[in-house]
Amino acid sequence: MNHALRRVALACLAMFLLLLVNVNYVQGFEAGKLADYPGNGRTFAQQYQYQRGSIITADNKPIAQSKHVSGVYSFQRYYPAGPTYAPVTGYDTPYSKTGIEQAEDNLLSGTDPRLAVRNLIDLVTGKPRKGATVQLTINSAAQKAAYEALKASGRPSGAVAIDPSTGAILALASYPTFNPNKYATLNGTKLNKVDKKYRDSPQQPLLNRAINQTFPPGSTFKIVTSSAAFSSGKYHPDSRYYAPTNLKLPGTTNQLINFDNSPCNDGSNPTGNGTVPLIYAFTVSCNTVFGGLGMKLGGSALRHQANAFGMNTELRIPLKVSASQYPPVSDPDFTAYSAIGQYNDTVTPLQEAMFAAAIANHGTLMRPYMVQKVIAPNLTSLVTTQPSALSHPVSRSVAADMSRMMASVVAQPYGTAHSIAGQLGGITVAAKTGTAQNGANNTGLDDAVFTSFAPVANPRIAVGVIVKGGGLGADASAPIAVQIIKAYLSYLNSSAKG
Amino acid sequence: MSVVGARGDGTGTTGTMTSPGLTRVPLPRGRRGVELIMLAFSISVVLFAYASVGLGLNGHVPTGLATYGVLFALLMLGAHLAIRKLAPWADPLLLPLAALLNGLGLVMIYRLQEAGRNGNPGNAISTMSASTTTFQLMWSTIGVIAFAAVLVVVREPRMLQRYIYTLGAIGLVLVALPALLPASISEVPGTGAKIQVAIGGFSIQPEEFAKIALAVFFAGYLVAKRDVLALAGRHVLGIALPRARDMGPVLIAWAVSLLLLIFESDIGTSALFFGMFLIMLYVATQRTSWLLIGTSLFLVGAFLASQLVSHVALRFSIWLHPFTYPNVFCGSPSIHVPCVPSYQLAQGMYGLGFGGILGTGLGHGQPYLTPLVQSDFIITAFGEELGLTGLMALLLIYGLIVERGLRAAVAVRDPFAKLLATGLSFVIALQVFVIVGGVTQLIPLTGITTPFLSQGGSSLVASWMIIAVLMRISDTARRPAPQPIQDEGMTQVVRGV
Repeated sequence: MNHALRRVALACLAMFLLLLVNVNYVQGFEAGKLADYPGNGRTFAQQYQYQRGSIITADNKPIAQSKHVSGVYSFQRYYPAGPTYAPVTGYDTPYSKTGIEQAEDNLLSGTDPRLAVRNLIDLVTGKPRKGATVQLTINSAAQKAAYEALKASGRPSGAVAIDPSTGAILALASYPTFNPNKYATLNGTKLNKVDKKYRDSPQQPLLNRAINQTFPPGSTFKIVTSSAAFSSGKYHPDSRYYAPTNLKLPGTTNQLINFDNSPCNDGSNPTGNGTVPLIYAFTVSCNTVFGGLGMKLGGSALRHQANAFGMNTELRIPLKVSASQYPPVSDPDFTAYSAIGQYNDTVTPLQEAMFAAAIANHGTLMRPYMVQKVIAPNLTSLVTTQPSALSHPVSRSVAADMSRMMASVVAQPYGTAHSIAGQLGGITVAAKTGTAQNGANNTGLDDAVFTSFAPVANPRIAVGVIVKGGGLGADASAPIAVQIIKAYLSYLNSSAKG
Repeated sequence: MSVVGARGDGTGTTGTMTSPGLTRVPLPRGRRGVELIMLAFSISVVLFAYASVGLGLNGHVPTGLATYGVLFALLMLGAHLAIRKLAPWADPLLLPLAALLNGLGLVMIYRLQEAGRNGNPGNAISTMSASTTTFQLMWSTIGVIAFAAVLVVVREPRMLQRYIYTLGAIGLVLVALPALLPASISEVPGTGAKIQVAIGGFSIQPEEFAKIALAVFFAGYLVAKRDVLALAGRHVLGIALPRARDMGPVLIAWAVSLLLLIFESDIGTSALFFGMFLIMLYVATQRTSWLLIGTSLFLVGAFLASQLVSHVALRFSIWLHPFTYPNVFCGSPSIHVPCVPSYQLAQGMYGLGFGGILGTGLGHGQPYLTPLVQSDFIITAFGEELGLTGLMALLLIYGLIVERGLRAAVAVRDPFAKLLATGLSFVIALQVFVIVGGVTQLIPLTGITTPFLSQGGSSLVASWMIIAVLMRISDTARRPAPQPIQDEGMTQVVRGV
């Protein structure tokens, strides 16, 4: 039997050899691949052995930091003003990240190749690895004003402020929102509970309404319609255009009416069958004028102009922005609706800010961005964003015309946004209001839309605000924009003095 | 006919009289001293590992070092003294190797128990309590007592031959018991496997003991029938096939293992028993055809099972795709909620990968992230904290135990003891292969215990009993042949040792 026994001994040896080869493969060769699998909690814990980089605002206020704690994880994430900046920073968990935490993860965690040399030096000198600091373009004063104003409205809403000359995003707020500190737990069960609570909430706190939810633009789309009209060279702000009280739409029995079914009368159109200057129609926001104008210009011209303003494009700022939509329309009646922002066209609050920013920057739309620079742990600057143009939606002269029309919306006593004139404290604001009907048969609460820039002569900030179910744009959204504008301009004043 | 009587001093020197003209073969030495030195080495490795756990977890030497350490050392010294007394010629390697494994198992169980408790980092493992290590030490004590008891009761391997049918019946009852009991008593919670008898907070896994009983039965049965089973029938493709009428035993063993698979959902143990039977059959008959027949039968059975029993099909899917999202997680896309068993395999693999070549060091890893790491997956905890280096060392220890067992099988003359040693050594090898291969994704995972390391009493006690039987057989093999004490031509007075 010993012959067979020796074979059994060899078989056992072979089994152990197989096991040894396999563990060598797993632990020696496959370790890197295993570490890269998403959901590998051990890799995550390893990340928390060293300090993740901070996220700071343009004015050097930290909004995400790694605090030293004891235990397996040496560091824990902390967001000093959690909900205010939640749509900007996002959250950082073992399993997923959002916002800047996700978009700039490689630099924040220090795994980016640009930090490789630094890491090697640290390894040799025995210094702990540290992530890079990401400095945003966000201004803490504007952001705080934006979040607090949205919160005060109590409705689902989003607001974005842009520096028109560079495209730098000064504020990006959303309400209702979440507290990223709740995600900064290293306890899986707790994390799961927090995530479930936020995810199941009917208020959708995780939705970034500033860039990831689209709303009908309502009358603010008249900026696009007007721009297309002026760019055609056939119209200017003082051109008179047919302004009926009810605009019959071809091919249907529907009639387009003005807000509250009122006539469009600057005093020269008492019959409701004559004409008014376009600037007047824009200032009081006559639907019939722009519906008719839109049909005249045609759906493709409107779509072309909308694209030039950045619609139908998915941007990365570096957060992913949902594309604002202007789908192709051919039927004249639908073109009329789309020209006043009431058809299939939808926009994000960021897009609203971009409308105003392009006009404010003399017709050039700067590419919106949120990361100003990335600073390596040794304080050298790794990345600095250079502003660049995204498109040229209108010429300089058309922009000047548009600016004049938008200023009139606030300045003229009959302007739809004149109600904010008293709150401005000497700042001149150019704006356009929108009150977008929605819901089945337009029975839902109107969304309040507002786009603006200030000061009119030397624009420093462009703001877009949308409040869902807020009613009149001038009532719900405009005061929010005013607070953001005032907060930012007073910050600029004080920093210029300081 | 014993003149001097059994010597228990273990010095290996026997004070024999020498008479001129008699050619004396030098007596093999018992090598108990070597065993003691190696045992001391094993114990110190264990104590250092124990201290290292505390230093790794919280920077302090564990307060229990003195009590646990001294208890463990005394226990192993007790086993050593039992060998000196009861099996002085036994292989000197087996006890130190078993002690090292048992001790490292205790250390790892202590380390896992401490995770998340007493202010240590990590999450507390809910399936362990603060007294798990104490219980495991208690089981180690019972294991060493069982080890000594086997040596006391089984003075000669052939003594067991008298009870083969009794043991066979006991083995079958032990195997069948969990299947017959209600699931509330026999099912391991959450696994669907009916393999235990749990009453109150106390559970034993009868199959661990059935392993030994059945090995004895197989050995006895095969020794009796091996000539018949070795008879060749037809030759097919150069392989001598057995006669159809001799297929009975292998078919019965196959059927029993399949029943085990179906009624207890326990693929691991089923493979273990059938593999052990096949190898013993092969060694008894020296016919390769039995191996081929048996392996084909097993593969057919496993295939049928994978088609019929969803439990088995899932195991295959997990093995082939352990990291695919639906296999690891379910729930919302951003937060992963483990919900299928591949989570465990994936976590174990992450642990192994995280440990890398040198490991994190005891107390520095996160083995507690792997569900049930203290039982089926304990090898991944070693892989994580002691690294590839430590894991290879553990595998080599197992390899040494197996090969020393087979060495005893080669050396012993009695065919019954030979078969028994083969079966028991092979079953250790197969068990290690199945569980370590399973958790390292070499083969589909089946939940069986890791001998000596896993938390739980039955496996530990049974492992100690197997070591005792192997040591008894090696003692028999190495015991010097009766020596003539005087030169009296054809008539000799012999001295039994």
